[in-house]
Amino acid sequence: MSTRQDARASVSSPPPITWVLVAKEFGSLLGRAFFLAAVVGLLLTAAAVALPAPVREGQPALAPEKMPSGSFLMRRAKGEPWAQAPTLATEVSFRVAGVVARASVRQRFRNGSGDWVEGVYVFPLPETAAVDHLQMRVGERTIEGQIREREQAKAEYQQARDEGRKASLVEQERPNIFTTSVANLGPGEELVVEIEFQQTLAFDEGEVRLRFPLVVGPRYIPGQQLLEGIQGLGWSPDTSDVPDASRITPPLLPPGEAPRDPVRQDREAAAGPAGGARGGNPVAIEVELDAGFPVEALKSRYHAILSEQKGEGRYAVRLRDELAPADRDFELAWTPRPGTMPRGALFREERAGATYALVTLFPPVGPAVEAARLPREVVFVIDTSGSMQGLSIQQARNALALAIERLGPGDRFNVIQFNSTTEMLWDEARSATPENRHAARSWVEGLRANGGTEMAAALEAALVGSDEPGLVRQVVFLTDGSVGNENQLFGIIRQRLGDTRLFTVGIGSAPNGHFMTKAAEFGHGTFTYIGDLREVGEKMARLFAVLESPVLTGIEMTWPQGVAVEAWPTRIPDLYLGEPVVVSVRLSGPADQVAVSGRRGSEAWTTAMSVAGGRRGPGAAVLWARRKIESLLDSLREGADPVAVRNEVVALGLEHHLVTKHTSLVAVDVTPSRPGDAELSSGALPTNLPHGWSHTGVFGELPQTATEAPLHALVSLIALLAAAALWMADRTWRAGDRS
Amino acid sequence: MTTRVGLASSRTAVRVSGWSVLLAFAAWHGGRAAWIEAKAHLAQALIRRAWRQESAGAGDKRPWPWADTHPVARLIVPGRGVDTFVLAGASGRTLAFGPGHLEGTPLPGARGNAVISGHRDTHFAFLRRLERGDQVEVEGRDGRRHRFVVSSTRVVDRSDLRVVADAGDTRLTLVTCYPFDAIRPGGPLRYVVVARHADG
Repeated sequence: MSTRQDARASVSSPPPITWVLVAKEFGSLLGRAFFLAAVVGLLLTAAAVALPAPVREGQPALAPEKMPSGSFLMRRAKGEPWAQAPTLATEVSFRVAGVVARASVRQRFRNGSGDWVEGVYVFPLPETAAVDHLQMRVGERTIEGQIREREQAKAEYQQARDEGRKASLVEQERPNIFTTSVANLGPGEELVVEIEFQQTLAFDEGEVRLRFPLVVGPRYIPGQQLLEGIQGLGWSPDTSDVPDASRITPPLLPPGEAPRDPVRQDREAAAGPAGGARGGNPVAIEVELDAGFPVEALKSRYHAILSEQKGEGRYAVRLRDELAPADRDFELAWTPRPGTMPRGALFREERAGATYALVTLFPPVGPAVEAARLPREVVFVIDTSGSMQGLSIQQARNALALAIERLGPGDRFNVIQFNSTTEMLWDEARSATPENRHAARSWVEGLRANGGTEMAAALEAALVGSDEPGLVRQVVFLTDGSVGNENQLFGIIRQRLGDTRLFTVGIGSAPNGHFMTKAAEFGHGTFTYIGDLREVGEKMARLFAVLESPVLTGIEMTWPQGVAVEAWPTRIPDLYLGEPVVVSVRLSGPADQVAVSGRRGSEAWTTAMSVAGGRRGPGAAVLWARRKIESLLDSLREGADPVAVRNEVVALGLEHHLVTKHTSLVAVDVTPSRPGDAELSSGALPTNLPHGWSHTGVFGELPQTATEAPLHALVSLIALLAAAALWMADRTWRAGDRS
Repeated sequence: MTTRVGLASSRTAVRVSGWSVLLAFAAWHGGRAAWIEAKAHLAQALIRRAWRQESAGAGDKRPWPWADTHPVARLIVPGRGVDTFVLAGASGRTLAFGPGHLEGTPLPGARGNAVISGHRDTHFAFLRRLERGDQVEVEGRDGRRHRFVVSSTRVVDRSDLRVVADAGDTRLTLVTCYPFDAIRPGGPLRYVVVARHADG
């Protein structure tokens, strides 16, 4: 009895030592619970792994060894060489005129398998690329590709394929995605397919850059892209060079280390005499360069080159090592001699009685450039709708904070956020004092993404249609552009723009590139794409360096009287530091010269360029056609008659030999090569990526399609089991206490 | 003796708090799982309503006022109890409520490759049971039903975008994550079901 009383007494005033014991006991209990949870977890995981096995047996297609070829999984899982893939070697030659490059890419396809095969290769090209030539070489014979209406080309190709003849077909799937199909490639046979395309080059940090990605290896390319935005594919417009080189460029390897390119091993194994020269994947590159201005420096970043000067700004360049190993991207860059004034270059091409001219205005470069900084009024508009949730809004906030930080003391600014409703930071723009900047930054910090995307009201609030001379008004629009009413928004931009310039910044993994490119075009601005959180700083800095320094505004071109002129773009954008202006023109007859005028701050600026004396520029016509087709297709969005547009596009495609949405190039061999009794295995062939063109880099990945529900359910179950185990253990202990 | 009884009572405290912690943990995670499942199922009811209005000619109809998507098709697998509504776009937000139609691909039944993706653990869990020759039906907004016949199933890397390329025919491509029983989301593999249009 006395012990019981003692016990009661001790409950009312527990000795301090108890808490240490409590802690110890709790720790040990937790340890036990954790142990139990771990055991249960292991058991469950084992069950989860073991359970699906019978199901897989019931579906033979899922077993890795029975996977149909055509999936990357099979090869990777089994570590097999790519012996079955048709391999290729590549020769590339460029002819550069100003900021336009004509590229000819010759690819050698080799069928290493024992079957007759058909391969389809999907490859991205820069959004400005125009494919206009296809040639197929089989042994000694050369077959020229013919331009046809798309359906007809396809029918011809299919017929040839079914009749056992060799055939090749180049089609445009989207503005920047092309496919090459090759039919009836016999066992061990080689086929050379040559395509020519044309692209506009990037002018960046005072240099023009020609870049050709050479390393294939989509699995090593970092970064995540969702496919959602495939329609717009706005990767390239900001550079108009290789679509966002940073994304499609695998990390460069330290010298001396072998590239981790799985394709290479196979090439080494299978290339044979065709290209075994130097460890596989051989590439030869030639560049014929006419810069259009005096060149200060010409350099190749990663490859040793031989260059020979042919005249003022003209060079012949080739790789020093023929058949260089393709473990680095090829990048050739040249810089103009420093100057303080904008410079113009004109290339012309005669075709079928018409003159096509390519007029390029280069901004001044060099240390002497101190563009008179005009005071600006900048309105930032940030999309805080639900689709921006997650990383996108984070990126947008970071970008905005950086932008506000860069404002000069003479600038004025305001911030507008919109989701279902529009909210302005201040009623009107305020000057960028440290206090105002600070206030804006903390306001931005608190922005959260939720609700719908009602963009119209925000655009109307930002574009007030004012025309204030002496003040540069810029609207920077940060959004993922997931809107449905694009046409209405374009209408608002056109009506209310006035003297304002609209710059769109694409945020998130899958921005609607089309909307933002077009919005910037209507808004006389540019489109910047930020795909990766790490790029925010760099990309915004570049955009703002440009925004801070308009060089030439209100540009106009005056052509001689009596000549019918069709120019693209129809509205000439402003010239900023770091971004040339490129205009394509078709003239109905000969013309002497063109006068170009604009405003430099408050001064007028004019220059005259000789057309007759302009340099010959191959591809001026194709570029013009490509741009016209683009604007024709755009007019569909404004309610143009689809039939009329289609007919016009077909006519232009046929005239200029151009692969478009409605025209394709097809090359068909006349004599059958596949014996009638041999089967053509189609589609199932593992297609090797064409050299330097990777899927992931340009248009992303298949969507993410799993939830965290099973994970949560499992964790919940484990916790419940642990609680049950604890309860049982406790009962045992209590029974022990009682005895 | 004092210590022993003190220990017993402190053990009660530990017991209770240990249970509370574990039960709260279990409840939270269970709740998350249930919420994901509930969203996936309840949303479909709202989407069905929006679909009826769309079918009656109401144009794009948001299933709930703050939705940034709308139903574009109805996916039916006869004999497997699958009847679900496909939403526009395939972003993570959309897929929580229903399978999503990949922007930039044609609508099912139109010429080209219509791509629909869905979560492997909710709306598209049935994909694992689809076999070659199975029928999949898609109803468009105009009320027309297109019949597709499964022609192949395979597993690809998520970077393998050939599966969404236009193959020149009229087909339906259903994409979900693989393996189906993985506990963690975010794996690199995708399970792809290709179904060809029954009329060509």
